[in-house]
Amino acid sequence: MSSTWLAEAFAVFGKDWRSEMRARHSVATLVLFALTTLIIASLALGPIGASPGERSEVVAALLWILLLFAAAAGLPRAFVHEEESRTAAALRLAARPSAVFAGKLLWVASLLAALEAIATPLAVALFDLEVASPLGLLAALAGGGLGLAAATTVLAAIVAQGRGATTLFAALAFPLLVPLAVLAVAATRSALLGGEAGPVLLQLLLYDGSIVVAGFLLFPVIWNP
Amino acid sequence: MRKPLLLLLWLWMCGIIVAAYHWAPLAEGFKGDSSRILFFHVPVAWVSFVAFMAAGVSSLRFLAGRREARHDRSAAVAVELGLLFALLATLTGAIWARIEWGAWWNWDPRQTSIVVAMLFYAAYLALRSAIADQESRGRLSAAYATLGLVVAPFFYFILPRLAFTLHPEPVVNASGEVDVDPRMLAVLLASSAGFTVLYFWIHRLRARLAGIELRRDEGTE
Amino acid sequence: MRATSLSFSGVSRRFGRVAVLRGAAGEVAAGGLLAVRGPNGSGKSTLLRCLAGLLAIERGEIRAREEGRELATADRRRRIGFLAPDLALYEELSVAENVELFARLRGVAPEPGLAIARRFALPAGRPWGALSSGMRQRLRWAWALLHAPRLLLLDEPFQNLDAEGEATARALLDEHLASGGLAVAASPVSLPLPRITGELDLAR
Repeated sequence: MSSTWLAEAFAVFGKDWRSEMRARHSVATLVLFALTTLIIASLALGPIGASPGERSEVVAALLWILLLFAAAAGLPRAFVHEEESRTAAALRLAARPSAVFAGKLLWVASLLAALEAIATPLAVALFDLEVASPLGLLAALAGGGLGLAAATTVLAAIVAQGRGATTLFAALAFPLLVPLAVLAVAATRSALLGGEAGPVLLQLLLYDGSIVVAGFLLFPVIWNP
Repeated sequence: MRKPLLLLLWLWMCGIIVAAYHWAPLAEGFKGDSSRILFFHVPVAWVSFVAFMAAGVSSLRFLAGRREARHDRSAAVAVELGLLFALLATLTGAIWARIEWGAWWNWDPRQTSIVVAMLFYAAYLALRSAIADQESRGRLSAAYATLGLVVAPFFYFILPRLAFTLHPEPVVNASGEVDVDPRMLAVLLASSAGFTVLYFWIHRLRARLAGIELRRDEGTE
Repeated sequence: MRATSLSFSGVSRRFGRVAVLRGAAGEVAAGGLLAVRGPNGSGKSTLLRCLAGLLAIERGEIRAREEGRELATADRRRRIGFLAPDLALYEELSVAENVELFARLRGVAPEPGLAIARRFALPAGRPWGALSSGMRQRLRWAWALLHAPRLLLLDEPFQNLDAEGEATARALLDEHLASGGLAVAASPVSLPLPRITGELDLAR
């Protein structure tokens, strides 16, 4: 039973990656968005002028703003495309809702992880930052990425069934993501500058856990009439 | 609500206004009588939280039960009222901030987080208007409001404590101790109770009205 | 009520203020076929989507039984075979990949589905996006039958099929009914189908 559930979830995840590799709908949008934002910001701010500490403060916020907007631009597709290309019915009829949610969550999280893997080293290099705690930075990126993935997956499933999905997504997502962004920025800042990050990471984990659990509980209701 | 109960609520609220100005002492370290706004500002902020939680509970009842339209309506009305009370909390807070801090708006974490909470629930109303089909609207907006049950505590309790704040310590502060003059506390609690009852009364009226409007619209079809 | 059967009564559904279905009722048992007729806009597709569990009904009751076991809505959704003109598979995936994907999602072996695709002479390596409308309809048939469902819901089953494709589809439907399955078929025109055990005219 549970092994077939896993197989279902991975099948959803696998088909999204395979489609992506062939058509490149999302990755291109996400990476281009991230690169453009980083380059504009580094040209505007530059490594000259500000002290390393100030730069770390600014870049921690900048990095999460970038990830947030890239997510808003590229990730609702996870469900919007299923509805628009009319494949959602086939998926509804064939797979268990929880497996669909797990597969989609994995897909969105892996996209975000890839984006973070590109954007973070680039930001560190472009702004000539020193990372006080690489492990802390990794934890901040993982914690923030998971929360961002879970929240966008749930909301994408909601807006895909309404009109004007993309604008609606922005309206729904930003308030939901503010606590996450604030926590993730705080965790990233303390990883870059060094300092006590434990309580913030714990709250980040609490947020992630709440959204993931709420997502699994609510998804069957969102997905099926 | 029955007439005697309504009269009681009215007398109760009048009593609170009198007590707030003539019985409760002034808090130390505040300009003039400005601390008295506390007796109205804190309860309306509290009621906005109660309303948003009530919306979540109605939504859960809608989803878990037989998807009765009255629970859906009840949630929507609760969100509308929650927004109204959150707006009142923001306005009373701004008046106080103008007097104490010298500016109507200071991007204080507590000010910011109630704005974020309002945005979250304004998005609920946007979501409702974006879905034409009645069944999907009820289902999806209920799921979103249930999500609010999970994140609203972040807006009200975690987010405001993250950054440095000028805002006075919450009545029940981080260490869980109550450090307020007993008479102030009494008025504050009585006022919170009064506003909570007031909220549920308005909610009942609005929900009934929404039901009547719906039946009227269907009748004239 | 027989061991494998589908019955519904009083099924109503509105879209906004437009009542599309008003109290549709019908019944079909193992080996039988319920023919749903009616002009455009009479609610045939809506009825089938309700029966499949893809649309919530406002009033009424739908009961599906398989080998004596009553199916809950979530089970019914996954157990039935469903074919409809607006159902699409994944554009970037080939015929074989789509069949394999959905076999994995349904927890069944891919071979029976692939065999049906071969009977329809579908090019295994061609993606859904590059299939003609007739070929898509053929693949919809393979998709609907790949998990050997007992309850088959067919909306416009022979749309866009050529003579050869229709013959294969009819043969598959015959085999399905002969092996104790049941079917509901909707079409605006009267379909000359064998084994029709009931008719429902939504035009009234």
